[in-house]
Amino acid sequence: MRYEVTLDDRLVRVDLGEHGRFTVDDRAVAADVREIVRARQWSITLDGESHEITVVTHEPLRLDIDGRDVRATVIDERALRANRGAARTRTGRIELRAPMPGLLKAVHVKEGDRVAAEAPLATLEAMKMENELLAPSAGRIARVSASPGAKVEAGAVLIVIADD
Amino acid sequence: MRAADAAYPIGAAAPRESYLNSARIIEVAKRSGCDAIHPGYGFLSENADFAQAVADAGLVFVGPPAKVQRLLGEKTAARRLARAADVPVAEGTEPLRDAAAARAAANEIGYPVLLKPAGGGGGKGMRVVGRDEDFEAAWRGATGEATAAFGAPALYLERQITNARHVEMQILADGHGNVVWLGERDCSIQRRHQKLIEESPGPNVTDGLRAKLGAAAVRIAERAGYVNAGTVEFLVDPTGQFNFLEVNTRLQVEHPVTEMVTGLDLVALQLRIAAGEPLPFTQEQIERRGAAIECRITAEDPFAGFVPASGRIALVREPAGPGIRVDSALFSGMTVPSEYDSLLAKVIAFGANREEAIARMRRALEEMRIAGIPTSLPFHRAALFEQDFVVGRYDTDFVTRWDPKKVSDLPDGAITAAALAAVLAMRSRGERRTVPVADPAWARAGREDALR
Repeated sequence: MRYEVTLDDRLVRVDLGEHGRFTVDDRAVAADVREIVRARQWSITLDGESHEITVVTHEPLRLDIDGRDVRATVIDERALRANRGAARTRTGRIELRAPMPGLLKAVHVKEGDRVAAEAPLATLEAMKMENELLAPSAGRIARVSASPGAKVEAGAVLIVIADD
Repeated sequence: MRAADAAYPIGAAAPRESYLNSARIIEVAKRSGCDAIHPGYGFLSENADFAQAVADAGLVFVGPPAKVQRLLGEKTAARRLARAADVPVAEGTEPLRDAAAARAAANEIGYPVLLKPAGGGGGKGMRVVGRDEDFEAAWRGATGEATAAFGAPALYLERQITNARHVEMQILADGHGNVVWLGERDCSIQRRHQKLIEESPGPNVTDGLRAKLGAAAVRIAERAGYVNAGTVEFLVDPTGQFNFLEVNTRLQVEHPVTEMVTGLDLVALQLRIAAGEPLPFTQEQIERRGAAIECRITAEDPFAGFVPASGRIALVREPAGPGIRVDSALFSGMTVPSEYDSLLAKVIAFGANREEAIARMRRALEEMRIAGIPTSLPFHRAALFEQDFVVGRYDTDFVTRWDPKKVSDLPDGAITAAALAAVLAMRSRGERRTVPVADPAWARAGREDALR
């Protein structure tokens, strides 16, 4: 199975073969891989170099590599074939979700509004602070799914932005 | 609670029903045979009514008495007191009636202005307003936050001092009229007026400025009739001119920094003062040596504008080693609740000088692991390498200027290992999804039997 992995701004191709053999950017890699904490932490030795990789969060995928922080994505070949170049245009919709449970204090936009990237869309009160939720990208407000005063759970869709 | 000798329920998770429920706390204190209450550094620690209620119940409040808290807790009254004590104060107003009056005052002072709650400090409910057209929104936001945090919506205005550093002076006062200062902490590295990194000595604080800040803090404390530990906060501009900001009438989150450089145990001293003992040393006997830095690791995502995060901690490894202290509430498996402040752990590094403290802090942060939820750790790791921090030339805009998109410069081996781990993480996650959520013990037992 082939994968495309991005680590910050670097693209790496990983091919995971039979019997734990793999290639990275088409080079066969001899690595000793040990899962230290299930689905969370690996100890990997490559050419005498030891690395510890910890999955900080799965979504979005954030890794701690030997005490340094990297944002990562992984796409497998099926998804690659299905989605290559089309993911964004096919859906064309970006959801603003509540990053954590809280009280929705205000919504600054209404359906049909055009917004710039990072424009404040809503105010969420959580952990004794008011947090401005910013537009993840520019677009038109397709839907406002929650109203001010509502208690929202983490992950609840608050606003949907459509591509212009 | 696991570390406590005794535990009593004080109510539900919502602060109003538990940690802000004075009557309940005092009742439990009496029932358990307590003779004193230490309010910590959140919730009721700066609440004069609580201090009074504790005293009225015949218990000792470990902190300044109610009348001092009242005097300094109302921020405009504190500003008047500072002025009377001959301490410089930034241009500002008394509490404002409404948005219209405030807007007029803002135009008079000149933008940018700082909108601040008169009812309490700690940065909650505070807003910088850069332009007249943003004023209404800021007023609404600040009023809401001030009401939620302090139960008092009153706001006042102060002229915003740009490129300023937040420098605060730790003081101790006993009940016998002795007041000493222990040294400053630079707490300029903040986001939304919440501190992220504190250090002592302040990188730009000269011996002369330190002595002036110390003397000013002592004058304010004496005039207020202060007793117990407290912090007098100042803003210092690039020329070394300083203005009084406010007094925090409690122990500060960042007190370990001062403990490291003075070798004093501030909480023990608070208890001795509360018990009526005189200070065990004079100003001349206080020695400061070395340098200390504190990083506040919070449940916030630095890659997403420091938005708070909550959830389950999957894995924790705390650093250790020479000169490293960790004050932490973390353990793996814990759930970070959304009801309380986002502070998870404080990592404090001490060194013979600032250079050594930085080196030790870098190593400690590199050793630390927290997984399960986003935390501010990536910010701290990056900040300790930022040139402005390394040379000590930073101000309260440091976090705003920090670029979270700056990419890591990892060696090829680490990239290869990380790519492999990323794939393995995704695969193991896929497998995990197929495991039924409910896994009753009998089903597990049955499976184990089948394996034999």
